[in-house]
Amino acid sequence: MSDHQQTPTDETTARADGGCATTADVDLSQPTESGSWYRQLLVVAETEYRLAVRGRWAVALTAIFAAFALGLTTFSGSSVSPEGFERTVASLAVLAVYLVPLVALAFSYDAIVGREESGWLQTLFALPVDRSWLVIGTALGRAVVLASATIIGFGIAGGFLILEYGLSGFDAYVTFLLATVGLGLIFLAIGVLISTVVHEKTHALGIALLIWAWFVLVHDLLGLGLVAAFGLSDTAVSAMLLANPTGIFRALVLGTLGAASDAGFATVLAEAGLSTGLLLGAVLLWISLPLALAALAIRRRRL
Amino acid sequence: MRITITDVHKRYSDVVALDGPSFDIPSGSTFGVLGTNGAGKTTLFGLLVGHDTPDSGRIEVGGVDVEQAGHRVRERVAFLPEHAGFPPAMTGREVLSVHARIRGITGRERSIAEALETVGLTDAADRTVSSYSNGMGRRLGLASALLGEPPVLVLDEPTAGLDPRGVATFHQIIERIDRETNTTVVLSSHVLAEVERLCDSVAILEDGVLRAAGSVDELRTAGGEHVTVTVRPSTGQERTQLREAARQYGDVTETDGELTVTCERGAAFEFCGGLESDSVDHFEVHEPGLDAAFHEALATGDAGTGANSDTGTDPDSNADTDNDSGTSTDSDETATVDTPEVSA
Repeated sequence: MSDHQQTPTDETTARADGGCATTADVDLSQPTESGSWYRQLLVVAETEYRLAVRGRWAVALTAIFAAFALGLTTFSGSSVSPEGFERTVASLAVLAVYLVPLVALAFSYDAIVGREESGWLQTLFALPVDRSWLVIGTALGRAVVLASATIIGFGIAGGFLILEYGLSGFDAYVTFLLATVGLGLIFLAIGVLISTVVHEKTHALGIALLIWAWFVLVHDLLGLGLVAAFGLSDTAVSAMLLANPTGIFRALVLGTLGAASDAGFATVLAEAGLSTGLLLGAVLLWISLPLALAALAIRRRRL
Repeated sequence: MRITITDVHKRYSDVVALDGPSFDIPSGSTFGVLGTNGAGKTTLFGLLVGHDTPDSGRIEVGGVDVEQAGHRVRERVAFLPEHAGFPPAMTGREVLSVHARIRGITGRERSIAEALETVGLTDAADRTVSSYSNGMGRRLGLASALLGEPPVLVLDEPTAGLDPRGVATFHQIIERIDRETNTTVVLSSHVLAEVERLCDSVAILEDGVLRAAGSVDELRTAGGEHVTVTVRPSTGQERTQLREAARQYGDVTETDGELTVTCERGAAFEFCGGLESDSVDHFEVHEPGLDAAFHEALATGDAGTGANSDTGTDPDSNADTDNDSGTSTDSDETATVDTPEVSA
């Protein structure tokens, strides 16, 4: 038992409730000592990045993207392969719509709930850091890994395409690359949100797969059915496109193809009121909204 | 840093987690929170560090309402959750570095080195957590809590799942913190002997209700100052003489050649002091233990020392009376002496 407390330096003062206080007590009204919020955010993000690299996620994601992109582009010798930058981009866009959301969700569905199961979340919650920064930092760290893997993985294929076709049409590929990064970040943000609101990894995985199936498989089919059945207005069609991140991605990528001619898809989008600025704004909204909801949800999370 | 818990209520759906406990934890003390499973210990700790807010009532740490300033409180209160864990791919030193950077601790390397040394993990600091045993993981958790010398340490079942050696090491660390710093330590445990060994004061919870609170000595002697002395005389003749002598001090029973004397504490030490080494093979002094107080509190539902029980008893007043007798009691409150001191 303690023989330290009540030492001569701990002058006691009587309290109304019969207790005692000591002059050794720390004044909590003093300025805070903990790190500033942006430093805390960077520490969490850096830790998450480091863990993803050590867990070989970074290598695995890069390898997956590179393998699929190279596989598609190196078919160029065959009669069924796409030719030229723009055709290759169109083919890669189809691939990316399926692959990137799935990979991003697989990479993020356990970001929070997985940390809770390992006890790390409880440990972090005990620290003087706003829970919202823990979520944002986690998403930021993983976002850097996913974006790097996307750029490197698809960039390798882009390098081969430059060797084959030169720089003509490379801007379409750059647009595709950036749009793919955006698509990945959207689904990463959705994965983090799922991970924040559920309490078991298996539930998070199940919901993530349903989300993937909805946006990648069901949503467009349903949209086409509605358009065919009810002859929806252009505004309604545009709204349906914006309601699906993969639709925004397609619009962004395909909008750059044939942009030089009046018959390009960009013209179609412009007529529908979907400018590039609006599409980019929608991408940012799709990234920030799930993260904002996750940042709020984490505050109410019980461990 | 003093902690005041006043009439705290917390309910989760239909489950009442805390039903109005009120007690104070004095600055610099080591305080134990006891209770059965589901008694509300972890809920109380969660409220104490601002993880959750009470439905009603108030918790103050150093005079600051935790509900109003949970973030500020967590800067001063280091919490080791029961299920704390660390990323297996990180080294112990890296884990502490993350904690130190988030806490904004200055002199980070020195602080980390000190914490590692305190918990005995210096040699394992650069190994990944995946290679740590359960006990090492708990010690790493304690090291993270000790970073920056926080004025309050809250430890939720710190020795749960540890092997005996791990438990002993943990006890030594807590005792060292208690001895060398003015840190207020609040811990929960199911092991009464552990609480009795480490803590100055305790609160006993059951179903969210405070059943008793006070200093360890107060609680274990609440049922009276009676202690039990068991004596094994060396010969039958000595047994007869000892039986007669013991009757002057208290009630005597005899089992398998051993005499058991139940008497007042002072009488017990007087009786033991009069024992002669050649007449006794062995004797034991059994102090009243905290386990009796614990079961008594749960059985009677006694609310202990009142609506706002102040456990701020001067710990020095709880001086170990065994020292006066020349014997010592270990954590299970049994002193075993094979070669008794002989007094005239």
